[in-house]
Amino acid sequence: MAARIPRLLRSASIAALGLALGGCGGASVSVQTTVPTPLVEPIPIAVGLRFDDTMRQYVHEEDLEALGKFRIELGATQVPVFERVFAALFAHTERVEAVAAPATQVDGIIAPSVEELQFSIPEQTKSGFFEVWIKYKIDVYRPDGELLGSWPLPAYGKSNAQNFGFMGGGPSEALNDAAIWALRDAAAHVAFYFPAAPEIQALAAGTAAAEASG
Amino acid sequence: MMPRRHIPRVRALGVGVMLATMAALSGCVTATVQEVREAGTGIAAHESIVVLGRKHKTRGETETDFVDCVSRQVGGEDLGVMSEQAFVDATFPWFEPRTAPVDVRDFAEVIAQPLLAERIREIGVRYLVWIEGSTVRSSETGTVNCTMVSGGIPACFGFLSWENDSNYEASVWDAAQGIHVGRLSSEAVGTSFIPALVVPIPIIARVRQSACAALSDQLRTFLASEA
Repeated sequence: MAARIPRLLRSASIAALGLALGGCGGASVSVQTTVPTPLVEPIPIAVGLRFDDTMRQYVHEEDLEALGKFRIELGATQVPVFERVFAALFAHTERVEAVAAPATQVDGIIAPSVEELQFSIPEQTKSGFFEVWIKYKIDVYRPDGELLGSWPLPAYGKSNAQNFGFMGGGPSEALNDAAIWALRDAAAHVAFYFPAAPEIQALAAGTAAAEASG
Repeated sequence: MMPRRHIPRVRALGVGVMLATMAALSGCVTATVQEVREAGTGIAAHESIVVLGRKHKTRGETETDFVDCVSRQVGGEDLGVMSEQAFVDATFPWFEPRTAPVDVRDFAEVIAQPLLAERIREIGVRYLVWIEGSTVRSSETGTVNCTMVSGGIPACFGFLSWENDSNYEASVWDAAQGIHVGRLSSEAVGTSFIPALVVPIPIIARVRQSACAALSDQLRTFLASEA
């Protein structure tokens, strides 16, 4: 029994050293999240939703050299997030495969896409936060495929490194949390400001005029 | 049937003494709370409160575990507390980091929105408690060096001490009237030590926990009593 104590102490020391060194090895996250249904009054129009490959398969990879390799997979989790927000914002939504001449009767087509993702870790900024920025663009089309305009959507999420300490999951969990906050921020921004976008106002006005004339 | 394993009484006593010593070896903490009341309070049995952390700042964001701690400690049989996550989900997107009202004037406008007003009535939240502040390590002196001695056993020598300062403020908003009803602040200071003579013995000052306990007690009294 006595001989086992030094062996246990040595194993514990090696494990502690391994854990400490493991903290500098980058991170890889596959983001999975959803958002609540927003509390908004729906706009009385029907829209088609088109999600391109960036909304289904987006992966950001970056090698920060001494700080390690980082991989953020937004992937398909974006589709249900945006779908839920648009379903609350408009009277009717449905998926479409193309932006022109859809087979169904809609008043317009909305096509979000990811333009860019950036992130930072506390070692870079000395701020104590993991941060994620996602730059989306939402194209709005008429039913015939004519582009009405593009609406920029900047999204930001941060995660306090202090909430993910020694036993809290480390950089992967913190980066994942920051990405989830960024997606939630995108959803909140759309719910708040997208209904006032000129493109959406034009679609709503067109629908209202068509209904009034006949 | 498995044979019952008897723990020697001496070893059990040793473990007990060690745990009692560790509990006793916590550093001293001084905590103070202050309160400014601007309006009367009081809460009905069907109403509850929510404790929220401010997340719009880029520095000094309140730690999640402090917000959770206050939320846990302030609640009880006579005071219902809704979790922060449940509240922000139920009111999405009105209380997100970028959209949450930053002052009571914004708050009054926000809760006048019919859909949100209806939702807040449904969930029964009467008071919003916004927590700001954080705990920082303000000074540190000494060192502890650890090395492997014969047989691969680690041994540590030295003396390390540091001071933690907690500084938190709680602003209380009344959702029924859209007004600011008061502000409470909690400050705590404590010094932790690690003397090490082969084995390091941490004597940790539980500063953040003391600030949480002091703020929670004061908050409970503040909400229950009239002006």
